[in-house]
Amino acid sequence: MTFPLPSQSKASNAAVVMITSSAIWGLLAAGLQTLSTIQLLLPILSYLAPLPVLNYGHLAPVVSFLLIYGWITSGLLGVLMILVPRFSGIPFRYGRLLTGGAILWQVGVLCGLTGILGEGGTGIPFLAFLRPVTCIFLVSFLVLGTGITRGLGGSWKSGPLLPRLYLLGALISFPLGLGTAELLLRGGTTPGAVQIIVQLVWASVLQHLWLTPLALVLVFQLIPAMTGRATSSLSLGVLAWITTLGLGGWLSNTLASEGPLPSWLQSAGVVATLLLFVGVLGNGILLQPLLEGKMEEIRRNVALRFMSVGAWSYLAAYGWLAFLALPGVRQTTIFTMTSNTTQTLLIFLFWGSILSGSVYALLPVSRNMGWPSHPALTWHFWFTSVGAAMMVSGYALAGIFQGLALNDAGVPIGTVASYLRPFLVVILIGQILWWVGQMAFSSLLFSSLLKLFPSTAPMAVFPSENAVSTNR
Amino acid sequence: MKSTQALSIVLLSLLLTWAGQVALGYFQVGKLEPVLNEETNLREPPTPSGLAQTGARVFASEGCLECHSLSVRGPSGSADLTRGWGERRSVPRDYLFRESALVGFSRIGPDLSNIGNRIKEPKDLMMHLCNPRNLKPTSTCPPHPWLFEIKLAGPSHDWDSLPLPRKDWKQMIPTYQAKALVAYLQSLNLNYSLPEAPLK
Repeated sequence: MTFPLPSQSKASNAAVVMITSSAIWGLLAAGLQTLSTIQLLLPILSYLAPLPVLNYGHLAPVVSFLLIYGWITSGLLGVLMILVPRFSGIPFRYGRLLTGGAILWQVGVLCGLTGILGEGGTGIPFLAFLRPVTCIFLVSFLVLGTGITRGLGGSWKSGPLLPRLYLLGALISFPLGLGTAELLLRGGTTPGAVQIIVQLVWASVLQHLWLTPLALVLVFQLIPAMTGRATSSLSLGVLAWITTLGLGGWLSNTLASEGPLPSWLQSAGVVATLLLFVGVLGNGILLQPLLEGKMEEIRRNVALRFMSVGAWSYLAAYGWLAFLALPGVRQTTIFTMTSNTTQTLLIFLFWGSILSGSVYALLPVSRNMGWPSHPALTWHFWFTSVGAAMMVSGYALAGIFQGLALNDAGVPIGTVASYLRPFLVVILIGQILWWVGQMAFSSLLFSSLLKLFPSTAPMAVFPSENAVSTNR
Repeated sequence: MKSTQALSIVLLSLLLTWAGQVALGYFQVGKLEPVLNEETNLREPPTPSGLAQTGARVFASEGCLECHSLSVRGPSGSADLTRGWGERRSVPRDYLFRESALVGFSRIGPDLSNIGNRIKEPKDLMMHLCNPRNLKPTSTCPPHPWLFEIKLAGPSHDWDSLPLPRKDWKQMIPTYQAKALVAYLQSLNLNYSLPEAPLK
C-alpha cells in the first residue's frame, strides 16, 4: 500500500484515542456480555447476588450500547481519521480540536455506560442512553465528522469513488438520524403509535445507513489497495450504493409481525430487505474478483484476512436478514434469538472484522510502528473468528428452536427457556473465545503503541514460507 | 458521478426513508382517536394514570423489555392467543396514550400486553417483582429486591407490606418505584374491543 501523506498526520492522536478507547470498550462489552449470558444460563445466580447493576435487564442494554457506540463507532471513526486524508490527499488541520472531539466521544460513552448501569436504559432500541449523552455525541460528531468530510474533497473525479459515496451517505445519515430520533422519541409530542415506527426507522438508519456504509468505505478502499486490484464495475458499485441508501432505512420493519405496526410498513420492510440483498450481492460480485486466487496472501496478511472475513460476513449478514424476512420464516422466528444472530453477524463478524483489519493495515502507517508478536496476531484472528462463528450458530439454532416452541401453545414458556440452555453453553464458549482474542489484540495494540517490545510484524504480515526457509 | 448528484441522492434517500415511513405512518396511525364504549360510556383504550406512566419508565429502566414483548399477534400464524397472552391482537390504537411506546423484540419470558388482566391482584405482582420464585419455583425471571425496603414491623404489619413469612419482625415494603411499576403492569390489558380488533 502506498499513501502520499507523511506518517504522522494531525489526526494521528485523535485516531489513537478513538482506536485505543474502542479496544477497551470492546473488551468491557465482551466481558459484560459473557456475564449476561451466564445469567441467562444460570438464573439462580441473580438470586444469589441480586444487585441492580448486575441485573440482566441492565447488562443487556449496556452491552449493546458499548458494542455499537464504544467499540464499533469509535474504532471505525478512528481508522477513518487515518485513512481519509490519505485518499483525498487533503491533510487535517486543527489536530487538537479533533483530539478534543475524540475525547468528548469517549466521555459520551462513559456517561452512557454509567447512566444505563446506574439508572437503567430507556427501553428504546439503540437509544438506551439519556438525552445529555445524545448531545455529547452530536457535538463530538460535529467536530469529528467535519474533519472526516475532508475525505470527500479534493480529487472527487480522479480518486476512488465508491468509498467516497459510502462516506458521504454515512456522514449525513448519522447526525440526521440521531437528531430526528431524539426529537421524535423524547420530544414528548409524538403519538405512541408513531413512536414505534420512529424506533424502527432509527434502528435501521443506525445499522444500515451509518455503520454498514462506514465499513464499506474501508472495504472498497483497503481491499483493492491490499490486493493491488481495482473493482471491476463502477456502475454496479453505484447501483449497489443507491440500493443501500434507498432501502437500508426500511429494514427493521421486519422486526414487527402483525402487532402495532401498519401492515403496509411490514410488507415494505420485507420487500426492502429482499431487494437490498440483491444490492449486497452486487457488491459481492465486485468483491469476489478482488480476493479470488489470493489465498496465500490472505493467509500471510492478517489485515487482509480480517478484511476478507468481514467482506463475506457482509454477504452472510444481509443474506440472513433476507432469509428471516421471508413470510413463513418471519412468523416463526420473530421475537426470538435469531435477531441476536443478525446482531452478532453484523457487529462481530462484519463491522468488527473490518475494524480489526483496518487497524492492522492503517495504524502502522500512521504511527510508524509494527506489531510485536506473530502468534498473538494469529490468536486474535482465530479466537475472535471462531468465537463469533460459535455465537452466530448458537443464536441461530436457539432462535429457530425457540420460535418453533413459542408457536406451539402446548409448550410452556418455562420449557421454551430450558430448550435454550445447550445453545447458551455454545454461545458462552464463543463469547469467552472472542474475549480472549480481543485480549490478544488489546495486548498487541497497547504494547505496540507504548513500544514495549521490538516489532516483529511491521505490517501484520507473516513472512512467506520461502523467506522463512531461506532464513533458516 | 458529480458530487452534487451524489449529495442529492443521499438527501433524497433520507427524505424518503423518514418521510415515507414516519410522515405516512403519522397520517395513518398518528391521528387515531379513542373509541367510545357505548355499554360503559368509557373511552377505549383507557388513559393510563400518572403513576402508571411513571411505572412505564421503571419498566424500561429495569430492562424488562430485554425478555418480554408488549405486542400480541394473532389470530393466525402465532400461538399468542392460544397461550392466553391476550384476548385479541395488539393494534396501533392500543399505544395511543402511552407516553413512551414500549414494544420489546424478545420473548425469553411471556408477552405482557395483557398482564393486568391475567394477574389482577397487585400483591401477586409485588410478590413476583420481589422474588418471582415465590409464586413459580421454576421462574427464570430475576428478582428485584431493590424495589422494596426492609423495615421493622410494629405490633402489626403495614397494610402494603408483602405477605412473606418472616421470623425476625421485619417486613418488605414496596418503594414508590415498585408501586408505579405495578400500576403500569395493571394498566396493561387488552380486555376492550376495538373496531379493527374486536374481542374474540
